[in-house]
Amino acid sequence: MLRANAITKRFGRTLALDGVDFEARPGEIHALLGENGAGKTTLMNVLAGSLAPDGGEATLDDAPLLAGSPRAALDAGIAAVHQSPMLFERMTWEENLALGGFDQAAERLDLAAVATRARALAAKLGFELPPAGTTVENRSVAERVRLEVLRALSFNPRVLILDEPTSVLAPSELNAFLDLLRNLRAEGRIVVLITHKLAEAIAVADRITVLRRGRVVARTTPAETSEEQLAELMIGEIVIQPDAGAARRHPGETVLQIENLVLDDYPRRRILDGISLRIGAGEIVGIAGVDGNGQTELVEVLAGVRQASGGTTTSDGAMAVIPQDRDLDGLILDMRLWENMILARPLREQATSYGWLNATRAIDLCRELIERFRIQAPGPETLAGALSGGNRQRLEVARAVASQPRVIVAHNICRGLDLAATAEVHRTMLDFAAAGGAVLLISSDLDELLAICGRLLVISRGKTRETNPGERDPGRLGLLMAGARD
Amino acid sequence: MATPILLAALGELLVEESGVVNIGIEGAMLSGAFAALTIAYFSGSTALGLAGAIVAGVAINAIFAVLVVNLAVNQVVTGTAVSILALGLTGVFYRKLFGVTGKAFMVAPIAKIPLGPLARIPLLGPVLFDHNPLVYFTFILVPALWYLIARTRYGLRLRACGERPEAADALGLGVIATRWQALIVSGALTGLAGAFLTLAYANTFVENISAGRGFVALSVVIVGRWNSWGLAAASILFGAAMALQFGLQALGTVVPYQLFLALPYALTLVVLAGFGGQAAAPSALGEPYRRQ
Amino acid sequence: MLSSIVKPFAALALAAALISIVLAALGASPIGVFAALAGGAFGSWYACVDTLVKSTPLIFTGLAVSLAFSGALWNIGADGQLMIGAIAAGAIGPHLGDFPHLIAIVIILAAGALGGAAWGGFAGWLRARRDVNEVISTIMLNFVAIQALSWVVHGPLMEPSGAYPTSAPIASAAQLEFYFAPSRLNLGMLLAIVLAGVCYLLMFNTSAGFELRAMGRNRRAATFFGVRIPALTVWVMALSGALSGLGGAVQVSAISHRLYEKLSPGWGFEAIAVALVARLNPLAVVPAALLFGALDNGSQAMQRTQGISPELVQVIQGLVILIILAFDTPAWSRLREQIFGDDEQPAVPAVAALPAA
Repeated sequence: MLRANAITKRFGRTLALDGVDFEARPGEIHALLGENGAGKTTLMNVLAGSLAPDGGEATLDDAPLLAGSPRAALDAGIAAVHQSPMLFERMTWEENLALGGFDQAAERLDLAAVATRARALAAKLGFELPPAGTTVENRSVAERVRLEVLRALSFNPRVLILDEPTSVLAPSELNAFLDLLRNLRAEGRIVVLITHKLAEAIAVADRITVLRRGRVVARTTPAETSEEQLAELMIGEIVIQPDAGAARRHPGETVLQIENLVLDDYPRRRILDGISLRIGAGEIVGIAGVDGNGQTELVEVLAGVRQASGGTTTSDGAMAVIPQDRDLDGLILDMRLWENMILARPLREQATSYGWLNATRAIDLCRELIERFRIQAPGPETLAGALSGGNRQRLEVARAVASQPRVIVAHNICRGLDLAATAEVHRTMLDFAAAGGAVLLISSDLDELLAICGRLLVISRGKTRETNPGERDPGRLGLLMAGARD
Repeated sequence: MATPILLAALGELLVEESGVVNIGIEGAMLSGAFAALTIAYFSGSTALGLAGAIVAGVAINAIFAVLVVNLAVNQVVTGTAVSILALGLTGVFYRKLFGVTGKAFMVAPIAKIPLGPLARIPLLGPVLFDHNPLVYFTFILVPALWYLIARTRYGLRLRACGERPEAADALGLGVIATRWQALIVSGALTGLAGAFLTLAYANTFVENISAGRGFVALSVVIVGRWNSWGLAAASILFGAAMALQFGLQALGTVVPYQLFLALPYALTLVVLAGFGGQAAAPSALGEPYRRQ
Repeated sequence: MLSSIVKPFAALALAAALISIVLAALGASPIGVFAALAGGAFGSWYACVDTLVKSTPLIFTGLAVSLAFSGALWNIGADGQLMIGAIAAGAIGPHLGDFPHLIAIVIILAAGALGGAAWGGFAGWLRARRDVNEVISTIMLNFVAIQALSWVVHGPLMEPSGAYPTSAPIASAAQLEFYFAPSRLNLGMLLAIVLAGVCYLLMFNTSAGFELRAMGRNRRAATFFGVRIPALTVWVMALSGALSGLGGAVQVSAISHRLYEKLSPGWGFEAIAVALVARLNPLAVVPAALLFGALDNGSQAMQRTQGISPELVQVIQGLVILIILAFDTPAWSRLREQIFGDDEQPAVPAVAALPAA
């Protein structure tokens, strides 16, 4: 029995976990549900030993687990598959797995033996392994997830914790994965599945615990609940989805034209394979795809960060880009809010006259922005790093809109936001489109895309394909995202 | 000639594989040189001098480690500061202990150990088999470290720390402990490298005797592409260039001897600029890492 | 704001405490040493002026380092850039005899700036176009510069009699004159202070300066918003080199009037300490440079009266840098917040040194 008692954890000013009790039994799949920021990953890190809690303790079979020691957790039989990649890119997959449990501590390191044991387990699970001796670097996202699961299982753990494992899987791979979990359950292991996807939780879990803002708000089973009820528990109130009908009006003149865009990564890969699309004023066009099919690179090309190998992009006016990784690409956490704001050239120009950058003017502009977009911050001089995730996203959206572009390119804009914040961001995009702007929304979240996009394309392996209105259901779209060609 | 550079470079290789770049290597070498000489001089024992060199090198690297590994501070600036600190400390203590007289005091050099009949092979014999123990030690260290890094479990762990420290920690590999270990071992090796300078090469100490050899060791790691054998080759190349300057000064040729003194440094630039040196480095090299 | 003034003083106090331990170990009296340092630096009118003179090269190199570090360009090569600037000045100086004084000064200083700019710009180019880490390249270029200096004073630029390894003296038209003789106070100091002001305005009141700081704090985000990193890298390194080179030219023009080996006693490295104490703020570089210049000046008196070699100043430099870095880390941020209340940027961008892009 895996138990967590009264776990408390603080990060700076944020209380991530507030006296959380959690319990999971052998032979069960226990889903841990919650919005991003609810504390699920933090709880997992405590259980897996990566984080030491400020209060409370975790036990396995009533034996206390040493806090803050991943080694102790592994020795006790707890293995975790994290949300962010934890593979060593430049090492071969055999070496990566050798750092797991396939390597017997006997004498010398024997990579061949590691590979043999790995193949045996992979065969049992129905996994394919990369060719011998290849590094992890160029493997696909799905292969990496498989390798990480394999590595976790190599420890023969009694407890397997998985953090959002399905977010990078194509819908067609999902069922196979859920079956894998059921097999593990049949072997008597404890499986903790962390997710924010309600349908999956209901489909596969035996018990469900819901976290909201660091507290447990419900413990239930699939039989006793429904997706609507779970959603309400997760966010605390029903949020009306903004009316997307407006987005489907007739588009105006073309403001963004991409013609046969090609991007090659020397010497082997073609990352973008002849992408063409056209967006008119007032349109919100979506590109649906599983992470890793060229979206990030497309955004980089549009932002001007990368040179395309071929093809053209023409935009009738300025373009504002909101990158996916806000902390790394969108913001400078060590700088103040107003300094982050003037990263956007149009806004910087407003504060500049004859080459002289006027800090006071920039600060005032920022203050206006904070008010208009209701960013929760002490003031324009606050460091961006001090803001919560949701407010940082508000800042990015605010900056993009305030620079008055004709086109906004947004990549996974609502990842990590709760439902209320998501609705707010969608509202902003719809308003922007209604005022004559155009939005290119690149996302892996079908709910979001179906909610607000007028036209929808699917991207797979660097190629895009426009969908017709009859194809707008998750099943069909899932197939297309996985690469179906018809 | 090439030995102190190679020895220090091998130590730095360990450190860089674990993800840290140590510009303080120059300071560690200088401290080792000074400690070796001072202790050997006052105690009359070469062995004690070597021991002192090890302690000094480790101590300097420990200061560096506290800041860079535990406090996750900018590695470049810290390393530079450590080198400056060591330069100052050795200078101050040297003057205090030995006065400003400039009287060159000498220490008996480390005895060579010719390897019997092997040393008598014409041409190759003296070059390879007639050296003091430190040189033999360095010879052995090259394949030993290659094996350690590329083929053992420990080497895997070391490389994991330099590749992606968060993942290494999540697997229970202990990034902080591993980096400390690498820095301590490197400190010992670098200290010994410094000892070589004073006990075997010059047999005395002058201010800043290391004269940038520590920095050359850094470039040896790069030019050698983070591979023991490459390091050996690069060290021999650079050591030869540095040794040639004496010959040239004696000859008084048209070619200025300064050219040869500048050669290792210029060569490093050429290799880096022309052959994409950085791509072979461990991915997380130089990035400060802190556990949450 | 308060904290950015208190922190350097706290660091200096701690350094002083640690130094005292070292001094006690050497059998010297800490009080005596500090008194000698202070006395040597400020004890007389002449001493004070000489402190100003000794601080001047530190202002130039301190500005150079602050500028580059602000962009996370780790320019450890200020020494080499200063030397190349000095060489340029020393090469052209002897030939300026026929020019009017003002023109000669402008030419000799410009030569220094251009020389330093080329040396620094080269390292910048290596970084921008060839992905060569600037830490290694600037360190290597330092050593090349040392050899270049050695070569010119033994060879091409050697003074006519061939007796001493120095260059021919520069024409008197090109010499910055002294005020209040026999003091060596010259216009170089004024130039340095003016440049400090210019650098400040550049860094905080221009778009380019903002882009530099953005690049230093988060390269990827800067790229995303259109900052042209390669071009900016070359420009900043060239400007940084120019500042150091100018410092070298000022030294030649005002003080030494000729070239000789070991022209720089390590100003380029001392500049790192200066830049950190100033928290990379150009205006604060001036008082920080004065502090270290005072230490340099006082160290000779210290040697005479206390028998401690001047290298102690380098110990102070190293300790100060280490202390400032140690207490700047996020590890202490909670403590800092409690004491000072505000949230404050770390002085030095923590951005990585070596990874490509």
